[in-house]
Amino acid sequence: MTDVLTIQNLTKSFGKETVIDGLTFSVPEGSIFGFIGKNGAGKTTTMKMTLGLLAADSGEITVCGERVSFGQTATNRHIGYLLDVPEFYGYMRPKEYLWLCGEITGLENAKIKSRSEELLKLVGLAGINKKIGSFSRGMKQRLGIAQALLNEPKLLICDEPTSALDPVGRKEILEILRQVKDKTTVIFSTHIISDVERICDRIAVLDKGRLALSGTIAELKAKHKSGGFTATFDAGTDKERVLGVLAENHLQPIGVEETEQTIENLFMEVIL
Amino acid sequence: MRAYLAFTKKEFIENLRTYKLLILLAVFLLFGVMSPLVAKLVPEIMQNLGIGGIKITLPEATAMDSWVQFFKNVGQIGLLVLAVVFAGIMSNEFSRGTLVNVLTKGLKRHTVIFSKLTAAALIWTMSYLLCLAVTYGYTVYFWDMGELQHVFLAFFSMWLFGLLLVVLLILGGTLFKTFIGSLLLAGGAVVAMTLLNISPKIQKYNPVTLCGDNTALLTGVKNASDFVPAVIICIALVVVLTTVSVVVFDRKQI
Repeated sequence: MTDVLTIQNLTKSFGKETVIDGLTFSVPEGSIFGFIGKNGAGKTTTMKMTLGLLAADSGEITVCGERVSFGQTATNRHIGYLLDVPEFYGYMRPKEYLWLCGEITGLENAKIKSRSEELLKLVGLAGINKKIGSFSRGMKQRLGIAQALLNEPKLLICDEPTSALDPVGRKEILEILRQVKDKTTVIFSTHIISDVERICDRIAVLDKGRLALSGTIAELKAKHKSGGFTATFDAGTDKERVLGVLAENHLQPIGVEETEQTIENLFMEVIL
Repeated sequence: MRAYLAFTKKEFIENLRTYKLLILLAVFLLFGVMSPLVAKLVPEIMQNLGIGGIKITLPEATAMDSWVQFFKNVGQIGLLVLAVVFAGIMSNEFSRGTLVNVLTKGLKRHTVIFSKLTAAALIWTMSYLLCLAVTYGYTVYFWDMGELQHVFLAFFSMWLFGLLLVVLLILGGTLFKTFIGSLLLAGGAVVAMTLLNISPKIQKYNPVTLCGDNTALLTGVKNASDFVPAVIICIALVVVLTTVSVVVFDRKQI
C-alpha cells in the first residue's frame, strides 16, 4: 500500500507558541484516517500546511509523492478539502458554485455537468436551486463535500466536518464519507471520538503538536487491551440475582454501574 | 485563462447580486443628470430669490459650468462612493473565508487579484462613461458646447485616477485583510498626495492633479504638459501597486 500523504518532522509556531512540534506520520492509500486531538492541538494547522495555505517552519510534506510548497502548490490538484464551516459565495446557487469550482480546477464542461449532478445527488442536494446564503449548516457541509470531490481527488481532507452539526447532520456526513471511501483516501480530523470509531480504520492522536498515538484501530485495540470487560443486561434483569450468582461463584466485580439512557439515543428516537 | 474568466465572471455576478453595480450606476447616473441641471438652475433660482429686495445678477450659465459641476461631483463624492463600494473587495473574501475553497481548487493567487481588478475597473469605467454621456447629452441640449481644449486628456485623467483608487483599495485589502485597512490605505494615499500638492513644483507630477484641475485643462488655462507627467506617474503607480498586491498576496497565510 503506497502512502498518499507523508508528513516528516513538521514544525510550526505562531509567534512564541509552538503549535506543531516535530510531527511525523503517513496516510496509506484507501484508508479513512482519523486525525484526533483537542481543540487547539494543531489539527487545522497541519491540514492548512498540507494545502499550502500556511507556511511550515521546517519539515516536509508530500502528497502522492510530490512535495508541498507554500503558496502556489501543484499538489492541491490531488486534494479535495472540506472545512469545518465551509464558506461559499452566498449569492450563488449550488450548481453555479460547482461550475465555478469546475472551471477553476480545469475540468471539461461536460465533465463538470455530469460530476455536479452525480455529486449533488450523492450529498442529497439534487434539485435544490435556492441561493447558498439561505442554506443550513448541514446543507453547506454537504455542498462542501460535493465541492471537495468535484475533481475526483486522491485525497479528501476534512477538517472537523461533523463538529458544527446536529446528530442527524453528523450521521449523514459520516455516511457520505463512508460511501466515498472506495474512490478516495479520507483524512478526517475531529475531537468527537465516537465518529472516529464509527468510520475510521486508522487514527493518529495529536497532542501539543506531537503524535501521541497512531496505528490502525484494530492494532491499537489489540495493543492496548484493558483486560477488563463490560457485560450489559436487559432492563428487566434482576440486578440482585446477577450479583448473587457472581458471588456464589466467587467472582467479585470491581464496579457495578446502571446503564443510563444516553441523550444522543433519546434525541435520535425523538427526531427520526 | 479559463480560471481567470471564470473568476472574473464570479466577480460580476457578485457585484450584480449584491447590488454594488446597481448602486454605482445609480449614483453616477444621478451625477450625470445633476451636474448640468445644477449649472442651469442655480443662477435662475438665485435670480428669482431676491433676498431682502437685493437683486442678484449672475452671469448666464455656460457649458463650462456644467463641466465644472461634473468634475466636482465625480472627483469628490463620486470617488468616495467608488471607494466605499470597493473597499470590501479583498477583505470580504478574507473575513468570510471564501478564498480557501477556490484556492485549494487550484486557483492561482495572482488570478484572484487580476480578476478583481478587471471587474472593478470595468464597473468603474461603465459608471464613469454613463455619467459622462448623460452630462454630455444635457450640456449639448442646454448650451452651445463651444471650444473645449484637451478633451480626451481631461476626461481620461479623471478615469485614470479612479483606477488608481481601485488599485489602492485592492492593495490595502491584501495587506490588512480588512475593510477599514483598505479604506485607510486609499484614503491615506489621497490625503498624502493632497498635502504634497501644496508645493507648486510637485503638482504636475502628482496624480491627485488628475482629479482636481480638469476644468483648467478644458478651458486651456493649463496645458497638456501640466498633466502628462502626472498621467505617466499614475500609470506607473497602477502597475507597481498591482504587482505589489500580487507579491504580498502570494506570501499571505490564509
